[in-house]
Amino acid sequence: MEDYGKIKKLHDSLQKKEFSCEELTKTYIGAIEADNPALNAYVHTTPETALAAAREIDAKIARGETLDILEGIPMTLKDNISTTGIETTCGSKILEGYRPVFDATVWELLRRRGAVLLGKTNMDEFAMGSSNETSVYGGAWNPHSTAHVAGGSSGGVASAVAGNLAVYGLGSDTGGSIRQPASFCGIVGLKPTYGAVSRYGVVAYASSFDQVGPIATSVEDAALVYDALAKQDPRDSTSRGARELACGTLKKDIKGMRIGFARQYFDGVRDEVREAVERSMQVYCELGAELVEIDLPQLSYALPVYYILSCAEASSNLGRFDGIRYGYKAKNYGDVNEMIAKTRSEGFGKEVKRRILLGTYVLSAGYYDAYYKKAQSLRGMLVQAFQSAFERCDVIAAPTVPMTAFERGKAAQNAVETYLTDICTVPVNIAGIPALSLPCGFDQKGLPIGLQLIGNSFCEATLLNAAYQFEQATRETVFRAAKMGVR
Amino acid sequence: MVTHEDVLKIARLSKLQIREDELEAFTKDMDEIINFANTINQAAVESSDFDHINRLENVFREDVVEPSLPSEEILRNAESQEDGYFLVKKRG
Repeated sequence: MEDYGKIKKLHDSLQKKEFSCEELTKTYIGAIEADNPALNAYVHTTPETALAAAREIDAKIARGETLDILEGIPMTLKDNISTTGIETTCGSKILEGYRPVFDATVWELLRRRGAVLLGKTNMDEFAMGSSNETSVYGGAWNPHSTAHVAGGSSGGVASAVAGNLAVYGLGSDTGGSIRQPASFCGIVGLKPTYGAVSRYGVVAYASSFDQVGPIATSVEDAALVYDALAKQDPRDSTSRGARELACGTLKKDIKGMRIGFARQYFDGVRDEVREAVERSMQVYCELGAELVEIDLPQLSYALPVYYILSCAEASSNLGRFDGIRYGYKAKNYGDVNEMIAKTRSEGFGKEVKRRILLGTYVLSAGYYDAYYKKAQSLRGMLVQAFQSAFERCDVIAAPTVPMTAFERGKAAQNAVETYLTDICTVPVNIAGIPALSLPCGFDQKGLPIGLQLIGNSFCEATLLNAAYQFEQATRETVFRAAKMGVR
Repeated sequence: MVTHEDVLKIARLSKLQIREDELEAFTKDMDEIINFANTINQAAVESSDFDHINRLENVFREDVVEPSLPSEEILRNAESQEDGYFLVKKRG
């Protein structure tokens, strides 16, 4: 078996003193200076703190100490993950200049293990979007073709990792925001089970959907980072931590594993994508897995349920942005009410306003039962539907997105049409179950296609095992490194 | 059918100002999104109770007093402050 992971290789090189951590970090900083203008992946870079962290690690190596596996590895964070003293703006004008006074738990966990933070990456404003183009900084572009978007909302992380401007990164996934850009950029993205990873310090979009996870160029790297993140956190009462770690079982034989597929996941999916996913299921057959057809008619309600509930939660979560405690504040106003309304109207972009309005609408008197309550009941139905499905299979295979990366500017044209492209990713956020995207082919234009694997609650180990074996069998034909960044 | 009045009312509840020249576009978008949301009315629901995702229960920590951030830190990002408080203009 060949290892496609970058983290272990870099770890070994650092430990054997083939190059120093400072040299490695400088290589990445140089690559960001050269290639970020074309990708717009990073929105804030932190070269000084990165180099200071690298020098400390070099001192440790010089003293003959053994490094942690993630120590000294240059990485990035989506700009909604709080970092003490480092601007955290969520791609929004309303948080311009905001420097958190605490670290998100996910960053604290990695920082303590010696991760080297290169900077914060671009995202759709407050993670609301599918192309990264709702960001106040503009879109993040696809390293395979900069005429196309990197996807969203964690577009900056995916662009940076696929463009070799970071070894790995953390994104957040509320309705597909890790998996969709990973699919568009031809890399691996994992959305863990709701509750596996702490949400403390991650700026909330929809609290019962949001989950942080890794974006990396290999399954092994994603598993290493997942194992580091999935810890119970006293500061997030919904966090449970991992039920089992993933790295130890990655290489397990998958003979007899039951791979489910539901025809509903293929409705409206482009031919090239459908064919690539069907070929992937053939690969699983060759690996000794058993294909099981399942039926998920409830999926037809997933999109409206997702948009009703996530916008309801967003309208409440975003109430905190009032110009009083942090971020942007309007200049000319009469009383405090006008100050708040002006601050919000000038600070939020159009897509965020749309979702706040929709959320407020479905929660308002007269509409609550018809929309919010009904959607919650349907959410319960979808949870049960997936539970029954997982009695018959171990993993479900599906497309990640019905198409490949959008051209620049195309996603912004019609709100509902863009929402429809989230059809394959939102169901797992509704059900709280884990899923990942990994590369499974290319379309005629050479743009990557993603295979989505969906697992049962807290079964990340099974999911990553299935992904690892697929990667072993297909890597040479489905993965291409972009010709930029650190190679 | 979502009307201009609906949008203005919702905007007021959301503490958002909608300019005259934005009103038509927001109304059209809201109307399309609400029409799309209406598709859930076709779904039959046998009262499936949804309490919380994955039937998770709160994970409580021990009730031990731990140091919290000093008020200077909390106030660091606020534009107006006085005597350790956030400062806002009086209500009109």
